[in-house]
Amino acid sequence: MSDSIQQILRAQHVGFSVQAPGGRLDILNDISIDLNAGQTLAIVGASGSGKTTLLGLLAGLERPTSGDIWLAGEHLNRLDENERARLRRRRVGFVFQSFHLLPSLTALENVMLALEIAGLDRPRERATRALDQVGLDHRMAHYPRQMSGGEQQRVAIARAFAGDPSVLFADEPTGNLDRNTGESVARLLFDLNREHGTALVLVTHDLNLARRCGRIEEIEDGRLVTARAGEERDRFRLVDKG
Amino acid sequence: MNSFSLSFRLLLRQSRSGALGLLAAGLVVATAALVAVSSFTDRVGRALEREAGEALAADLIVAGRDRLPREYFELAESMGLDTAEIILMSTAVFVGDDSMLIDVKGVAGGYPLRGELRLADRLGGEDEAVRAIPERGTAWLEPRGLRYLDADVGDTTELGYSELTITRSLVFEPDRGGSRFMLAPRMMVNLEDLLESELLGPGARARYRMLVAGSENDVDAFTREIETRLGEEQSLITVADAEDQTGLALTQARRFLGIAALTTVILAAVAVLLSALRFSHAQRDLVALLKSFGATGGQVMSALSLMLLWLVGVAVVLGGLAGLGAQAIIAQILAEGPAGALPPPRAMPVLSSGLFTVLLAAGFALPPLLNLRSVPPMRILNRSLDTRVGLKGLLWVLPIAGALAIPVLQLGHLRLALIVLGGSALLALTLALGGWLAMTITRMLSKRATSAWRFGLAGLHRRRAAGIIQVTALGLGLMSLLLLMLVRTELLEQWRGSLPPDTPDHFLVNIQPDQVEDFEDELIRVGARNLQIRPMANVNLVGSSGTIRQDDRMAGQINVSWIDELPPANEVIAGEFFSPEATGEVSLADMWAQRVGARLGDELVFESGARQFTATVTSIREVDWNSFNVNFFVLLSPEAGDILPHQYIASFYLADGDGSVLRPVSRAYPNVSIIDVGAIIERIGEIIDRVSSAAQVVFFFTLLAGIVVLLAALEATRDERRHESALIRTLGADNAMVGRGLLIEYGVMALLAAFLATIGSAVTGWLLARELFEFTYQPSWQLFAVGFLAAVVLVIGSGWLGNRSVLATPPVRILRTGR
Repeated sequence: MSDSIQQILRAQHVGFSVQAPGGRLDILNDISIDLNAGQTLAIVGASGSGKTTLLGLLAGLERPTSGDIWLAGEHLNRLDENERARLRRRRVGFVFQSFHLLPSLTALENVMLALEIAGLDRPRERATRALDQVGLDHRMAHYPRQMSGGEQQRVAIARAFAGDPSVLFADEPTGNLDRNTGESVARLLFDLNREHGTALVLVTHDLNLARRCGRIEEIEDGRLVTARAGEERDRFRLVDKG
Repeated sequence: MNSFSLSFRLLLRQSRSGALGLLAAGLVVATAALVAVSSFTDRVGRALEREAGEALAADLIVAGRDRLPREYFELAESMGLDTAEIILMSTAVFVGDDSMLIDVKGVAGGYPLRGELRLADRLGGEDEAVRAIPERGTAWLEPRGLRYLDADVGDTTELGYSELTITRSLVFEPDRGGSRFMLAPRMMVNLEDLLESELLGPGARARYRMLVAGSENDVDAFTREIETRLGEEQSLITVADAEDQTGLALTQARRFLGIAALTTVILAAVAVLLSALRFSHAQRDLVALLKSFGATGGQVMSALSLMLLWLVGVAVVLGGLAGLGAQAIIAQILAEGPAGALPPPRAMPVLSSGLFTVLLAAGFALPPLLNLRSVPPMRILNRSLDTRVGLKGLLWVLPIAGALAIPVLQLGHLRLALIVLGGSALLALTLALGGWLAMTITRMLSKRATSAWRFGLAGLHRRRAAGIIQVTALGLGLMSLLLLMLVRTELLEQWRGSLPPDTPDHFLVNIQPDQVEDFEDELIRVGARNLQIRPMANVNLVGSSGTIRQDDRMAGQINVSWIDELPPANEVIAGEFFSPEATGEVSLADMWAQRVGARLGDELVFESGARQFTATVTSIREVDWNSFNVNFFVLLSPEAGDILPHQYIASFYLADGDGSVLRPVSRAYPNVSIIDVGAIIERIGEIIDRVSSAAQVVFFFTLLAGIVVLLAALEATRDERRHESALIRTLGADNAMVGRGLLIEYGVMALLAAFLATIGSAVTGWLLARELFEFTYQPSWQLFAVGFLAAVVLVIGSGWLGNRSVLATPPVRILRTGR
């Protein structure tokens, strides 16, 4: 791949199927996606369309049953589970709908844990800076249960960006938040994305959130229906949370 | 759908869930253990009562110094009771030129009223049960007597002026009983022959007895009536007086098995509680869904209660069958031994065990299930509306108390039961406290740690409440397993060792003072070991400065001895043992002092012939009667030897147990009686062996319960671990890091639980030895070191195996779960 310096993510003819009682069930079919550094991509689709599975495949959490995926220049198909984990810890950040913070760790420790797993030096200093960036410098010693949903998601965003990943995968990052909080979290997410130059892959039902991305891909019955940003986005049969 | 069919569907659909399986396993194991032990102890209890009756050869004995009046017999017979008369006396018996002191028993028709005689056609011949008494002109002599007199069946013996033909070898008589220590070999003759032998004249020290047997009510009625008629020097002997060393060992066995069962029950209760909590926790979504479909809290509650009831039904059937099978094995093991053929099992212990299982489920499993009532239907929309399934209210206190009361009652020894229950509760509290401390310390340590250590140590803190429960449950489970190992290896070994190899197995009585030195030389020459020779005098207790019960059978005539230092197998529990120079002092055995009512400081007045003397009670001793040493209720200060006419009694161990080497001794000193108690010691050893084997069967259930607790404790947090593992693997942790984290978490938990369990098992073992086996346990540190390491490996190993699925959980799971 000659353009691998710019291209952070590439999926070619990716398919994913599972064995079901009635035979093989195809979840994804012939998906191809390219994403360069700093670009943003929203993947939208109805429930059960396969968008979360696609996110998992692109992030190296699972291997496709057909096709190829390159992440940060590494051919994911050729990496075993531990090698994919190593790649994730260096190059990938995650933000989840349910925040997924460890309840027994403080905000600071939750961010530090990800940095320590990545083996980065000065984890405390980096985590402090990351929390400062998301406006939670006064909440560092607090536990998740002591924070609101929006604050917890901001801790998760700080955790995702603290290690300076090449690409951030976000799965319904505002799905568990009210409209105002969701808006503020989305703003923070995209601000940091610009500031860090991180590529962003966003899975969402939220049309407003999807519209913030440079490009939108719709999945329908496991296949990609491509739309260019700003041109055909209004035709998406999406459920607007607002 | 009504609650009934819903409960069935719930049970069937949840049957594959691990938590429900563990809940069922806990209930089955608890039922099985209790059925096994309660049914077995019920059978042994009845056998012991039967044996106790046999030990008297009757249900009641009226004893006297003279022949008992005919009206006593008529009274008993008029009340529908069977009677028989016997007369006992010691006398010298001759066969040819040989003679020895023999305990003669004259028996009349009907004897024995309980139990049976076993006779052989010749010395060493095969014995058989016989329901008869010696015919006129014949005698049955015990093999020991035949050997010492160098006689056999067909020889003629002289009894007073009568000549009797020895026609059988008397192998066993049921009422040899507790007096066997002090008796010479037995010769049984027809009562008429003894009456005609002219040995029963004035001054003869014969003991006259009337044996009575019948239904319990009739015997009680007769006892009440005869008590009003008993004259001086007449007394009653009941089955309670007949317990001997073998009965004691069997009682200890019953208690021991009962304790093992109680421990099993406690462990199973913990397993039931843990798995019920876990099961309830997993049912929150289902309950929320049912409620959102319109089910009321009451419907959910009755469906869950019914589901538990079906589960209890299954557990009672399976556990009952397993328990009955196990008790049959225990009974089989013991039937070949001292208990003899046990009476058949009864339904009562099984029924009460069934009730126990219902109460156990109601007390430990129902409350967490019932708390599901409060799960809001809104949870179906928002899981953050979480309801922690816990133990609220005091609803379960009553069934728990009831459930624990059943095994406690069946154990039949409140003090021991309280030690076990209290010990378990104390240990559980200590473990919980230790767990809490460890969580706090690891929390502090985790702040300084990095990656895997932070993850592992924080894991403990993360699941702090669950962690404390886990450490407690693991500790209890491990403690029972360690205790099992301890009991199997050291405790039983030391119990057996509490009868040292040179425990005296022969006694010599009636040694005259001028024969002592020669005897000592002769006994050492024939290989006697652990030889003790003590003076003995017969005195009458005639008065006291305090209040004594002179009508007690133990008061009146008593054998006393004197010594200048505390003898072995004696421990002073009050006062101070007299010094060698002391005069006018007396030391009493605790048992005797309690029976007679004598206290420290009392002045006791004794009479020997025409002479009276006074001694002050300066110490009370606890005597180990099982030591088989020569022991006395009353020990006088040394100067008593100068004033009391006395003889000597010796005890020793003889490697050659058949006593043939003693034959020249008995011939040279015909006045001396030789008593061989080797058979009794052998019998007690046999009981210990068989109890050890029977205990293994109960231990199997304890082991199962311990394993169920371990699994339930580990299962409790598996879902949480899987989720966390998926999260940190998503963040980039590899399998090795997740594995290290788990290892650290389990390692700390294992060290803590194993440490506390090791200490707990040492303390419990020591208590068991003291309270149950009545010896001082000397724990060996090697065993505990091995136990500690084994416990650590077991917890880490089972934690690791049980959490393989954690490592196998794909990280993508984190995207799919809303948690």
